[in-house]
Amino acid sequence: MALKGLDIFKLTPKTNCKDCGNPTCMAFAMKVASGALPIEKCPHMSAEALSTLSEATAPPMKSYKVGEHALGGETVLSRHEKTLVSKTLYAVQVCDCMDEAKQDEVLKNIPAVDYERIGERMYVEMVYVNHSPAKSAADYAGLVGKAKALGRPMVLSCTDVEAMKAGVEAAAGCDIIVNGATPDNYADMSAVAAGAKALLGVRADSIEQLHEVVEKLEAAGNKNLILDVGDASIKDAYANAVQIRRAALKDGDRTFGYPSIVNVDNLAKGDAHLEAALLSLFTCKYGSIVVCSEMTYAKALPLYGLRQNIFTDPQKPMKVEPGIYPINGADENSPCCLTVDFALTYFLVSGELERSKVPVNLLITDASGMSVLTAWAAGKFSSSSIKKFFDEFDVANKIKSRALIIPGKVAVMKGEIQDKLPDWSVIVGTSEAVQLVKYLRDEEWKKSYVEKAAPAAGETAPAEAAPAPKKVIPAPPIVVTGPYKIDGKEVTYKGHDPASRQFVTIGERIHCISPAIRKAMDSYDEAPILKRAAEQIAAGATYLDVNIGPAESNGPELMQWAVQLLQQNFNNVPLALDTANQKAIEAGIKVYNRTNGKPIVNSADAGSRISNIDLAAANDAIVIALCSADGIAKDNEERMMHCHNMLERGLHLGMESDDLWFDPLFLVIKGMQDKQMDVLSAIRAFSEEGLKSTGGLSNNSNGMPKHIRPIMDAAMVGMAMTMGLTSAIVNPCDQRLMETIKSCDIIKNNNLYADSYLEI
Amino acid sequence: MPFAKKPQVFSAKINELTLGAGDKAVTLGGQNVFNLYAFDAPMANSPKIGIDVSDDPEQPSEGLREFYAGCDTLAQRAQKAAALEHVDFVCIRFDLADPNGANKSIEDCVADAKAVAEAVDKPIVVAGCKNAEKDADLFAKVSEALQGKNILVLSAKEENYKGIAAGAGLAYGQKVGAESAVDINLAKQLNVLITQMGVGGQNIAMNIGSAAAGYGFEYVVSTLERVKAAALSQNDNTLQMPIITPVGVETWGVKESTAPESENPGWGSAEERGIDMEVETAAACLAYGSDAVILKHPASIETVARLTAALM
Repeated sequence: MALKGLDIFKLTPKTNCKDCGNPTCMAFAMKVASGALPIEKCPHMSAEALSTLSEATAPPMKSYKVGEHALGGETVLSRHEKTLVSKTLYAVQVCDCMDEAKQDEVLKNIPAVDYERIGERMYVEMVYVNHSPAKSAADYAGLVGKAKALGRPMVLSCTDVEAMKAGVEAAAGCDIIVNGATPDNYADMSAVAAGAKALLGVRADSIEQLHEVVEKLEAAGNKNLILDVGDASIKDAYANAVQIRRAALKDGDRTFGYPSIVNVDNLAKGDAHLEAALLSLFTCKYGSIVVCSEMTYAKALPLYGLRQNIFTDPQKPMKVEPGIYPINGADENSPCCLTVDFALTYFLVSGELERSKVPVNLLITDASGMSVLTAWAAGKFSSSSIKKFFDEFDVANKIKSRALIIPGKVAVMKGEIQDKLPDWSVIVGTSEAVQLVKYLRDEEWKKSYVEKAAPAAGETAPAEAAPAPKKVIPAPPIVVTGPYKIDGKEVTYKGHDPASRQFVTIGERIHCISPAIRKAMDSYDEAPILKRAAEQIAAGATYLDVNIGPAESNGPELMQWAVQLLQQNFNNVPLALDTANQKAIEAGIKVYNRTNGKPIVNSADAGSRISNIDLAAANDAIVIALCSADGIAKDNEERMMHCHNMLERGLHLGMESDDLWFDPLFLVIKGMQDKQMDVLSAIRAFSEEGLKSTGGLSNNSNGMPKHIRPIMDAAMVGMAMTMGLTSAIVNPCDQRLMETIKSCDIIKNNNLYADSYLEI
Repeated sequence: MPFAKKPQVFSAKINELTLGAGDKAVTLGGQNVFNLYAFDAPMANSPKIGIDVSDDPEQPSEGLREFYAGCDTLAQRAQKAAALEHVDFVCIRFDLADPNGANKSIEDCVADAKAVAEAVDKPIVVAGCKNAEKDADLFAKVSEALQGKNILVLSAKEENYKGIAAGAGLAYGQKVGAESAVDINLAKQLNVLITQMGVGGQNIAMNIGSAAAGYGFEYVVSTLERVKAAALSQNDNTLQMPIITPVGVETWGVKESTAPESENPGWGSAEERGIDMEVETAAACLAYGSDAVILKHPASIETVARLTAALM
């Protein structure tokens, strides 16, 4: 639990010596509380104060490693609040009370379940070796020695200190947990665990007693613990598991801030299906290690799938593995349908394909878990990525059919894909998954199928084929229409002073996701582009964003054309250059006129797109810096880390901090409602550090009805501007939003009020 | 400091919804604690278990074929299913009504439903064929035929809630299921729309979506948790309807449950795999907030009943 500034102040020497670089101890304490300074910056803190502080700022639940497996470290009770970090581990119980044949059988069956599911190895991670009081220490040591041969970490369960010593000795060289501390033996058992450098498992007859024993162990200096929830009854075990975790994470009780062990073998008492149910229950809530009698595929297939689902990071898009997925018994002669690896897209498309009952090979390409259009716009789903996929998975040799059906939404890619895969007949499929059933059943795709000359026997056609001549439509000369008019009214760009404190709006309407713009970009048709530019300028946009899509074949020409077209027609309106194609951005900047402000590079992030910061630095441009790496940042700590990494990189390359505009990533309310205040806090944090910020603000209202969106966007911009947002990528034609922004600029004293302020 | 239990008891509670009539009627919901947290305060009603019986005689497993052997009609199967000890209600499902499939007529469905009502004394839930238009009509006609039986129709969706709320809820006083697909905002919106039509919040149950474990189940988890959190900790009365989750229809369709042993010899008996898939998915649904689950296999029902009994 975070300490307040005043609590920290009480622990400081209160001498205001300034050795920490702050004017007063109070100022220092406030900065420590906000996380801006480490407590060690004060050279005069007493050891006692330091330990109190580190205790108070310690995470609510300890985290450990046993072998390669993580345990504990959770900060939330529900996966949607933030990621659950340490997945439940499974162990199989073997006991020295079993006859030898039974022991051997149990041990022999442990490796039986071992498979991979979406990139994760699924197997029994640990062996739980139990000691019965009826048996001798030597019996126990013998069993531990046998179990050790499996080479997996072991949980030694034994309340007899001497037998445990024998077990620990027999386990030498193996990662173990010493699960045997009780209210009677905890001091001695703790010494055994400490000697073996192992976690100590603690059990007691009641939760109150368990708490008491843990307190005593902690007082004696052992804080490497794991709590056994007991096996008196299913009800008690469940109550304990939930209450222990809840006490630690919700009520701040550090004494219970340890991982847990649940023995469902002892609870299910031989009922295999009940054991399956309990495995599931305690994976949901809140078993760190769950022990069963046997792991069969029947239990494992749902269980490991469930665990994988629960412990996925909710901030990261769920991806499916790229590959060839035969559907409805497809074979090498069945046609191919191509799409991206976003899990929802996959489930939707594969579901509809199955409904069609037509055998089809579904090709899933790596698109960083984005949906079709988003991936395409970000350059993650392109003819090159598809070509790479075909090479990596050796599609041409695995599949004989040469029919390749691509999503209708990216029909523009057809030519580029055809160039890269000349042997295939690239067919534009349906725009929506639901249309696939009819499309396939009625064999509509065959109408567009073009038979390709089959390569002669022995010839390796794909490698030998001459590259198709690259057809690049040359950019036409720039057309300047003279004063552009809307409803007879001349549209002129009002100009922009980069030093102004007024809110900067970046108009988002020239975006290749719009079919009209996509078509216009494809054919250098200036009319639709000029029209959208004029509308946005008339509505008061400061900058215009120009998204030309991935533009793999003609990016530089296209961007130069677009930049000059817009600037020459509209008084050098400043622009944000938006494409995954870096060469296109550079080319655009070469012909860019800076009268009304530097060009903006849209955008860099802290992951694969970080080099766009270098690009901006090299070309004296502004860069929009997304505070994310792969997927959405899980909290503001991560957002700020990305922010500082990118800031540092920019400054190091000679940029001004004002030229990095940080984007916290606005999140969809329908889906991430509980994260909205985090986004706003991030904006405040940028602002407090004197940094500029921007972002695709209207993403918050994605999926809401048309009449709601302007209301929600206006509320969001108002709150965000209070927090210090300095710019946003918006639809300037949304009048309510633009009026709200202008009003906020008045309230923030960025613009002097006049009755006609909305009109200027 | 000694440990003091801090029971998480809310001032809000989940609505109680009674299905059926007479001494076999069952009540869902009513609790003022998170699901299965009987250690915080006693659950007003334990979670309920329904059995899923389709009008399609095809069964997904050998064990189910054996169980229903000799039953030729939906009513006979429903009677056999209802006789199981731990079954609280019977969910009859008109898969064959699908216009893109067998397109069984509504009259035939109504006749089936009537026969079921005569053969079964436990409460009846009626599920449709997933075709929005046909379901609206089907639910209205079945609701008329089963007046007084206090059935639940499962369910009204965004596309057809008007017809169902009017045709089943308002006209014949039946209970209305509101179905959304792991979308908490839509779940709330549907409840609002259906109550605005005049169906009382006390007469609505929610199906917030379902999936087999491993198949995007995290969306089910988060939706269940967030609905219950809003209902109980924010006292949001548009989300206090009990949640009923069809589990069997999801779990008996995935390859883990149906792939024959010959395909993957190491996997072992398909029957066992199907049961565990159903049991583990159901246990997870209950852990995260379902007030009732609908299952297919007698062994699954027996197991889930043991689990919930042990937790109460």
